[in-house]
Amino acid sequence: MVDQKQLIKTAKEIVSREDVKYIVGYKQGTYGFVTSPAFAYTPEDVESFIYNPLCKKNLAVYPILEEKLPLKRGEEEDKRKIGLVVKGCDSRALVQIIQEKGLVREDLVIIGIPCKGVIDLKKIEKRFPNQTEVVDVEENDNSEYIIKIGDTVHTIPKEELLSEVCKSCEFPNPPLYDFLMGEEVEVREKEVYSGLRGLDETPIEERWAYWEKHFQNCIRCYACREACPLCYCKTCMADMLDPQWIRRSVNLSENTAWNIMRAFHLAGRCISCGECESVCPANIPLMELNKKLEKDVKEMFKYTAGLDTEEKTLFGTFNPDDPNEFIM
Amino acid sequence: MKIGVYICECGSNIAGTVDTEKVAQSAEPLPKVAVSRVYRYACSEPGQNLITQDIEELGLDRVIVAACSPSMHEPTFRALLREKGLNPYLLEMVNIREQCSWVHSDKDQATDKAISLLTSAILRNTLMKPLTPKKVGVINKALVIGGGIAGIQSALDLAEVGYQTYLVEKTPSIGGKMAQLDKTFPTLDCSACILSPKMVDVGRHPNITLLANSEVIEVDGYVGNFNVKIRKKATYVDPVKCTLCDECVPVCPVIVHDEYNADLSPRRAIYIPFPQAVPATYIIDEEACLGIDPLICAKCRDVCGPDAIDFDMKPEIIEEEFGAIIVATGYEPYPIENIGEYGYGTIHNVISGLEFERIISASGPTDGVVRRPSDGKVPKTVVFIHCAGSRDPAKHLPYCSKVCCMYSTKHALQYRHLVHDGTAVNFYIDIRTAGKDFEEFYQRAAEEDGVIYIKGKVSELIEDGDQVLVRGVNTLTSETVEMHADLVVLATGLIPSEGTRQIAKMLKLPVDSTGFIREAHPKLKPVDTVISGVFLAGTASGPKDIPETVSHASGAASRASTILAQKELEIEATIANVNEILCRGCGMCVDSCPYSAIELVAKNSFGHTIKVASVNEALCKGCGTCSATCLNGAINHLGYTDSQILAQIQALGGK
Repeated sequence: MVDQKQLIKTAKEIVSREDVKYIVGYKQGTYGFVTSPAFAYTPEDVESFIYNPLCKKNLAVYPILEEKLPLKRGEEEDKRKIGLVVKGCDSRALVQIIQEKGLVREDLVIIGIPCKGVIDLKKIEKRFPNQTEVVDVEENDNSEYIIKIGDTVHTIPKEELLSEVCKSCEFPNPPLYDFLMGEEVEVREKEVYSGLRGLDETPIEERWAYWEKHFQNCIRCYACREACPLCYCKTCMADMLDPQWIRRSVNLSENTAWNIMRAFHLAGRCISCGECESVCPANIPLMELNKKLEKDVKEMFKYTAGLDTEEKTLFGTFNPDDPNEFIM
Repeated sequence: MKIGVYICECGSNIAGTVDTEKVAQSAEPLPKVAVSRVYRYACSEPGQNLITQDIEELGLDRVIVAACSPSMHEPTFRALLREKGLNPYLLEMVNIREQCSWVHSDKDQATDKAISLLTSAILRNTLMKPLTPKKVGVINKALVIGGGIAGIQSALDLAEVGYQTYLVEKTPSIGGKMAQLDKTFPTLDCSACILSPKMVDVGRHPNITLLANSEVIEVDGYVGNFNVKIRKKATYVDPVKCTLCDECVPVCPVIVHDEYNADLSPRRAIYIPFPQAVPATYIIDEEACLGIDPLICAKCRDVCGPDAIDFDMKPEIIEEEFGAIIVATGYEPYPIENIGEYGYGTIHNVISGLEFERIISASGPTDGVVRRPSDGKVPKTVVFIHCAGSRDPAKHLPYCSKVCCMYSTKHALQYRHLVHDGTAVNFYIDIRTAGKDFEEFYQRAAEEDGVIYIKGKVSELIEDGDQVLVRGVNTLTSETVEMHADLVVLATGLIPSEGTRQIAKMLKLPVDSTGFIREAHPKLKPVDTVISGVFLAGTASGPKDIPETVSHASGAASRASTILAQKELEIEATIANVNEILCRGCGMCVDSCPYSAIELVAKNSFGHTIKVASVNEALCKGCGTCSATCLNGAINHLGYTDSQILAQIQALGGK
């Protein structure tokens, strides 16, 4: 379990530094199981920081989202660093963005959290529906979650609430950090991602029908895009008018085009934080697409995203000998 | 906007399989199409006149020609548009020959396909914008990489035309493989005698800068403007002071194999590569010398009268700019130790063709007496095995190396001339004598000089005392053959030399499945590469004999002259173009560009520094890799923009 006191102490020290603008962490949300991002500009702001297994949100989206207002003549650029609290996958997102030159390593102060996995909000909300009161969740040493709702304490096996992506996570420890909160967690042999099991045996037509069923429900809210740390193009292709790659109309054809395009744009870039899937209001199993691409990329190009800031991006490594069996 | 559409029948090449009238009619109702016509040969003078007339009379401003591949006649029709004052990039070629009539047999389907292709081209053409090619200056200097006969010939030709030419050779002397040959087929000219005058010319020519013992280490830039870095290794002997007296050699305590004699004789660490070497100077073999350190050994320096030895000599990096590059990096023999059944390296009396070449050479290790390297005996029976490692797609080289039939015939004939009571047996798959006087040469060997030819492959070689037991089959009589030979010579095939592979990689030249550098077009551009300004001479692009190599090299020099003679060059206008508003500066295009044509540059965006991609227009070849890599379409390809391609796809999809 991450020592919250150590986290707050470290964050206070960082935010007190002259060269740091603010630090993004987690705070208690306003209702139920939801935690919120917290932007701390002062040591006092840091007091609200928490860390528990509900802190699923990937905070790596924020430094990129920061709006850069036009500067007045003579005004200097604010070159101060941004602090971030990151888990293994969040840290990989930063590594990947740094590879893609979206961020500069020196502009970040990274508080790394060795992650034991986070709770799937959809699972816990199903278990305890319509929870409005703030809930406190802890993990004990027996792989159980201790959930306090009001005066009642529930002890639930971790396996039942853990996010599916966490079950197959190979990198729970942040590959990139400045301060690590606690000891690195042990990486065990991980199971195959649940959504990929039996995929090879499933006939293509059946797979297509499965996805049509899900894409049918897409409302094109683009929440997946907004939550994704790696969807940070200045103008998304989905929003372009000339040429208009995807029409505005919400129908199966355009929904399919959108979801497939997004999946392919994340090939060799997705770091499996699962944010897209967890924010999807239509419950589309988006991580199944991402995980399949991750697997193919690993097998065909021996490439894993977000591990080394010095490595080139997968799309950036052009090689005439690349496998091309898919070209008919 | 008025588009003229011309459907070429190409005689019956297209009209035989495609209903050209129907194709022409299909275009008439399409937007902006002013006229749609069929003509028998659009590329002919009357065909072109028809288009010119329509441009004048109907006021056409865009032209679509549905005919052959754009690689054939696009330049023809672009020139026509330019002559009539139209932008040549508003021409569109639709390939209804190679992509349609030649590959289909069903006339209805072929016609449908031709209509689809034409419709998509018309819709694309309406979105075309006039493009203006940029111009770049040309440096009138040439670089020839590799100092074998190909490089020598190219350098001499360019120098004769009047261009400053640098000839870079990795080894201490030019001459290459040809300098190691004794005689050349089919005329039996002495190889060194015909080569050395050319070598001397290279050394003397005022327009040639010879950089021996040097390697190209970096090439940047583009046609007309290549920036090249060359490393000139230290020779430790001042070539100006050295008088070639040979005093230094006997005192040198280090003895190593002499690569000129195919490692069959010894040489010292200080040596001259061979008597006719150019540049004619002794050098110290860095790796063999006891340490290039006078404290360890300075015997050579102590005896050197003119004080030519300088242990402090350092390698130099030479940076030069060139307008054109000729790659003449040549071949090397196939490593026959790979052929397990022939036991090269383990069976004593099995040697390679190049080793035999040195053994029969008057300047070779045995002074021209045929002696086998194992024990110095004169072999009485010599078996020559053709295609050792060649024409064997399952295990070795799939291709025919072209020269082995003839050089083995030459070896056998020379052997019979030198050892009158000797028996020469050639095992062959086929005898390939497709060259001037080759067949006569083969007949002469078989009939006049008593060389025995057995059609068949040798299956294995077994060491038997001081002889080799040769087992094979005579495929004409279907009998197995077993014989004892005193010496077996393996006719090895040719593979691209290490230098060829390195240079191909450095210049990003595509190679064939065999590793040889690919020509821009196997028939019509046999000395061009896909990189403009880079040309091929000799065996870097595939096995060749000497006359073929020499003419290839002259061809390369002539092609290079077409660039060097220009003051400025137009570069292709269909290249990548960055939309800086969309670009997020991730640099994936920079990394994926095979021509290193893109870089990230800093821009001021409302006071903030941002990075955006910037295309070097001279380096860009318009391959489109960057456009495909860019996630949000911030790089477009001029002439093939996303909108244009989408319009094409729509036309192809919408029935």
